[in-house]
Amino acid sequence: MHLSTRRRRLAGGLAFITATALALTGCSPIGADGGTSDSSEPIRIGATIPLSGTLAGFGSFLQWGYQHAVDEVNAAGGIMIDGTAREVELTLVDDKSDPNEVTSSIKTLISSTKVDALLGSCTPDLVNPGAVVADSQGVPFVAECTPIEVFKSVKEWTYAWDIFFSVADQAVAPFEALEANGIETNKQVFILHDNGPDGQAIGNEIWPVVAAEQGYTVAGNIEFPADNTDFSAAIQKAKESGADIVLISSITPAAISIRKQMAAIGWTPKVIVAEKGAEPVQFAEALGDLADGIIVGAYWDPSFGYPGAEELKDAFESETGLTSSQHIADSYTAAMVLMDAIAAAGSLDKDEINDAIGETDGIYAVGPVKFDDEHAAKIPVVSSQWQDGVPIIVWPTEQATGDFLFPVP
Amino acid sequence: MNSIDPVGLANTVLGGALLGGLIALSAVGLSLVLGVMKLVNLMHGQIVVLGAYAAFYLAAFWGISPLLALPIVFVLGFAFTAPVQHFILAPVAKHGEEAGLLTTFALAIILENLFIRFFSGDSRSLDTAFSRETLAIGPINLPTIYLIGFAISLTVCLAVWMLVTRTSFGRSLRASSEDPISAAIVGIHVSRVRWGTFALNGGLASMGGVLIALCFSFTPSSGSEYLLTAFAIIVLGGLGNIMGTFVGGIALGVIQSLGAYFFGDGYRTFVGLVMLIILLAIAPNGILKRRRSL
Amino acid sequence: MKNGISILLSRIATPTRVGPRDFIIVAVLAAIAFAVPYFAGTYQQEVGFRILQLGALAAAWNIAAGYTGLVSLGSAAFFGIGVYTMAIASNAGLPIALCVVLAAGVAGLFALIVSPALFRLRGLYFTVGTLALAEAMRIFVVNSPWFGGQAGIYLTARAPKAYDLYWIALLIAVFVVVCVLLLLRSRWSYRMQAVRDDEDVASQLGVRTYRTKLWAFGLSGALIAIVGSIQALNQGIVQPNGGFGMSWTIDIVSVAIIGGMGTKVGPWVGAVFIVLLGEFLIQFPEIHLAVVGVVLVLVIRFMPNGIWGTLTLALQKNRNFS
Repeated sequence: MHLSTRRRRLAGGLAFITATALALTGCSPIGADGGTSDSSEPIRIGATIPLSGTLAGFGSFLQWGYQHAVDEVNAAGGIMIDGTAREVELTLVDDKSDPNEVTSSIKTLISSTKVDALLGSCTPDLVNPGAVVADSQGVPFVAECTPIEVFKSVKEWTYAWDIFFSVADQAVAPFEALEANGIETNKQVFILHDNGPDGQAIGNEIWPVVAAEQGYTVAGNIEFPADNTDFSAAIQKAKESGADIVLISSITPAAISIRKQMAAIGWTPKVIVAEKGAEPVQFAEALGDLADGIIVGAYWDPSFGYPGAEELKDAFESETGLTSSQHIADSYTAAMVLMDAIAAAGSLDKDEINDAIGETDGIYAVGPVKFDDEHAAKIPVVSSQWQDGVPIIVWPTEQATGDFLFPVP
Repeated sequence: MNSIDPVGLANTVLGGALLGGLIALSAVGLSLVLGVMKLVNLMHGQIVVLGAYAAFYLAAFWGISPLLALPIVFVLGFAFTAPVQHFILAPVAKHGEEAGLLTTFALAIILENLFIRFFSGDSRSLDTAFSRETLAIGPINLPTIYLIGFAISLTVCLAVWMLVTRTSFGRSLRASSEDPISAAIVGIHVSRVRWGTFALNGGLASMGGVLIALCFSFTPSSGSEYLLTAFAIIVLGGLGNIMGTFVGGIALGVIQSLGAYFFGDGYRTFVGLVMLIILLAIAPNGILKRRRSL
Repeated sequence: MKNGISILLSRIATPTRVGPRDFIIVAVLAAIAFAVPYFAGTYQQEVGFRILQLGALAAAWNIAAGYTGLVSLGSAAFFGIGVYTMAIASNAGLPIALCVVLAAGVAGLFALIVSPALFRLRGLYFTVGTLALAEAMRIFVVNSPWFGGQAGIYLTARAPKAYDLYWIALLIAVFVVVCVLLLLRSRWSYRMQAVRDDEDVASQLGVRTYRTKLWAFGLSGALIAIVGSIQALNQGIVQPNGGFGMSWTIDIVSVAIIGGMGTKVGPWVGAVFIVLLGEFLIQFPEIHLAVVGVVLVLVIRFMPNGIWGTLTLALQKNRNFS
């Protein structure tokens, strides 16, 4: 008896709750709300950047580039929206180099900070998750630091844009550099690449094809996971192959380990190309003179003479006391492209900003920027070579800032 | 492309053996801690990383060569871990084994984030004059640094073995490990022995970190990998068995190198981990019952 | 295998009485939570999603760790299985609901496959084994040619709205809670707690320890995978370092310990605590995780039963005195 009354009461309660729930389903939940258009409010731009974790090496440059662009625009009086000048407010969040953090932080930036537009993190691992969220929620998103082929391959973008170089151009550059500088080798290349999105593209698809086109033979091709640390087996095989040229595509810790372990088994290939990983200054700092002669694709040097390039480098070095990196140029450019588009739109309507981004056509600190149908703006690639801790441009010849060092000492 | 070249294979196996012996130094202390304190020390990897950073900054600021810095790093590691045991781990011991394990897990999180905060996320590496030299034995080329590291690791392991088997501290340590209650009754300061063991482990692991960083680059987040490698080694070598740990290191090095040679470098760690799980499983009744004399 | 936490836990968690009252409380709370998207904005819905996600994960983990003594640091493996199953199955055109069920199935199967090796390990060694297992899974997915490598997989399914995600998470959270309550009402709970308190004695008393552990571990893993499958929808793109990342294990363990292992309510208290702490510390990203670590150390030392466990013990004491 007792039990059955209880049961009945339980059933009654459940019925009540279900009824309330059903009544509620009649209304509609609160979805994404539009940004504020109060003219006293600042224009809000947000981004996640890797300030900790494995990709932290990039984060500080992006942080500086974004902040510097925003400070410049604010110093010049902000951006005119509907006839009133408004300040730009930049919110940067650490994504800890973790894709999950990118997703949740971008969502928070959209829903809580109520950003009007977003800038990207660095590397496809961290850019793509952010771009996917921004694209599905209709918030303009300008990224750099992700090769355009990798960016395009994810999906057909509506609100996300990418300004960077092309992996295909990057893959050809070292061969062009060898050719233009009249370097003689046995024309055999050995490829070592990680299985990150760009590593797979360049190592499995592009390099083998380009090598064949340029009259080189691929003596071997080994893939490894991006966070690998021990490469002795791969290097052993590369050495046995007798190739003069080693092509590496990896993140920086891997590139450092590979070079160290080559030295450890006493093997110095005549030409070493280390894409991506050899690019930051910390690569050269960690390796010292072992970095000499290593070739890496680059896309910017202040000497290229794009507007504001020299000033940008000087500002970075005087403010931070650190050696500049090309990432200050592309992050600065991405922020400028976005803010120019907001100014051109003259409104904080996300679709209008997005359309204005698509119409970008100008020369920025990193070079000319114009987006193609697939939302990517390609910036030209050059070849640089580490010499005494400094990257020297060795190709194209007209932009060269020094002589080609051959063979690797 | 994948035909087996006997010289290359021999090179790989020998290199792996040397490297494994070298890495064994970072595992010896873990084995002692597990055996004596019944503590799964999940912050072990971070102590290894700490040693690497200590050597890195000693070299950067005072120009001390990493190999010469080894004794200093040992002292630093010892001095850092002793208070951790005294103030943090000892008080939770009464809550049981899991409390200690989870506390070290939390300490690992704290340390890793402090490394990122203070040393930045950049990858670092240690350098010496030997880092780039090789020793040719016939057609086989071995990195000099592997040989030096192997020799140092062997020497230290022998010293620890002597300490445990030939000294009064070692006797107390073995007694505390076998039966802490009886040990306390016969007048051994069990808590002091535990304190000494944990700090000794701190010093040894830090030195192991220096040797590892001489061969590879490291980042603030390298710790968990070092922890699992160290576990694989002590399981292979037998719990609490010091020279066994050294041999276990060599065995793991060879197994991993063979795995890497045939499946690719990416599978190096994978092969080690699968080995660890299988070994843990086939050791009768878990390895806990295999309490060998130290 | 004696161990202190378990002994302490058995004081508060053994024969947990689960009556109709518990189900009514859950239903009322669920109804209130259901209404949240009608009066709270997108941001609150997202925070709610994270609380439900972490709470469900910790409650699922608790089935194995808290009630059965199988303290696993391999949660990331099950979570990742859920993430990838959703990505692959939904891209193959299967309906979302079926993908979720599939995720649970694959995770259960995985538990079955690894159990012969893992269950030979007792206590702390089990913990180390699961840690190795999770790391092995991550490396395998990174390396193997079938799962898109480091690049991962993009989900072609349309991204759900914040409130859709919230409701899905709520549904799953309720499902996990009901599973836990039903489990605690059943005979299984006695077997599980017997295994936790002393496996050898349990075995002598006629408990089929292997089967009990497998059910607990498999159910726990399957539920974790279900939550993981929703994370794939949340992200829209899955990658090995995200799906199989150690950060999931860290989050789950932190939530469960801070809230209270082996308690019904603890995981949810812990989830609210951790998520709100994260939101509070958003201005100080560099110390966020370190603070979580410090809180963990303090909780283990001074409140070994977690926030909820300590609270209930204190209440019981009070009642006994009065």
